[in-house]
Amino acid sequence: MPDWHELVRQRLSGLALDAAEKQEVHAELASHLEESYESFRREGLSEQAGLNRTLAQVENWQDLRRKICAAKKEHFMQSRLRQLWIPGFLTLILSMLFQFALQKEGFQPRIVSWVGPGTVLLPWLVSLPFFGSLGAYISLKGGGSRGTALLATIFPVLALTAAFLLMFPIGLMIQWVRGSQGDFSIVATVLLRDGIGWLLVPGAALLAGGFSAVILFIRRSSSHHAVIV
Amino acid sequence: MIAPGIKRGTAELAVLSVLQDGPLHGYELARRIERQTNGALRFTLAALYPMLYRMEQQRWIRGSWETSANGRRRRCYRLTPAGKKKLSPLRREWAELFRALQRLTKVAHA
Repeated sequence: MPDWHELVRQRLSGLALDAAEKQEVHAELASHLEESYESFRREGLSEQAGLNRTLAQVENWQDLRRKICAAKKEHFMQSRLRQLWIPGFLTLILSMLFQFALQKEGFQPRIVSWVGPGTVLLPWLVSLPFFGSLGAYISLKGGGSRGTALLATIFPVLALTAAFLLMFPIGLMIQWVRGSQGDFSIVATVLLRDGIGWLLVPGAALLAGGFSAVILFIRRSSSHHAVIV
Repeated sequence: MIAPGIKRGTAELAVLSVLQDGPLHGYELARRIERQTNGALRFTLAALYPMLYRMEQQRWIRGSWETSANGRRRRCYRLTPAGKKKLSPLRREWAELFRALQRLTKVAHA
């Protein structure tokens, strides 16, 4: 009897999946082939005939490899778009638009004191749980898991964090090009202070909204499921 | 020649219907479908697994590794609540299609 696992591994070589997933596919297909072969043998087929009938289940291994990849990835990409990118960007755009609208209406960031004086736009902060819950709701409606929904919720903060982290080396490079001596401790304090006001606190507000949407959605689905059962 | 869309639809209905009775691993699933349809529907490995993986990605079914009494590890598939939800409209659609085809063939023979 051939080593089915090795046979599948060789014939499906180049399967473009991550290592763990590839191992699972190899193991599953090998197990299927092994059972087919054993069944043919029990029916009275010779070793060679059993082997031929078993292998005849796959006419084209390249085609199978392509189909498996498509099945595993195609839907994943579509789901990611529906469950993370669309709700995430929507949360980001809506919260940013609301912030601009507030500032255009004359609302100014308030000075608060944590690590030195920092600023925070209070009405915007109050609106964030709503935007967070909206992002989470859209993600959950698209079939997203709780984790994905919460990730979509805090997407604006992740985007701002990336921007903050980019600003830091860019600022240092500008100072270096200009030849001026930058004081790292001042830059770090400013980053920390603004990071709290514009990242951590808004992140917590968005998460609060996201969590409530997740809890409400789960409660609603479980009560709906109970009715169906 | 049956169009791939129709083939896929019947195959999905078959898998969801059989899994409604309980979890099964791929090989047993194919055997069960073949037996219950008197051999009319047969799944080779090449047809079965891409479909199972697609249905799993759509969260209609969920696969998990289990060890049988003889120590063999197999990936068992079970119906998810989303799969159960998908099954009833799918059944209705196919029943309607078959009724329509029956009416059509009766008219054609009359």
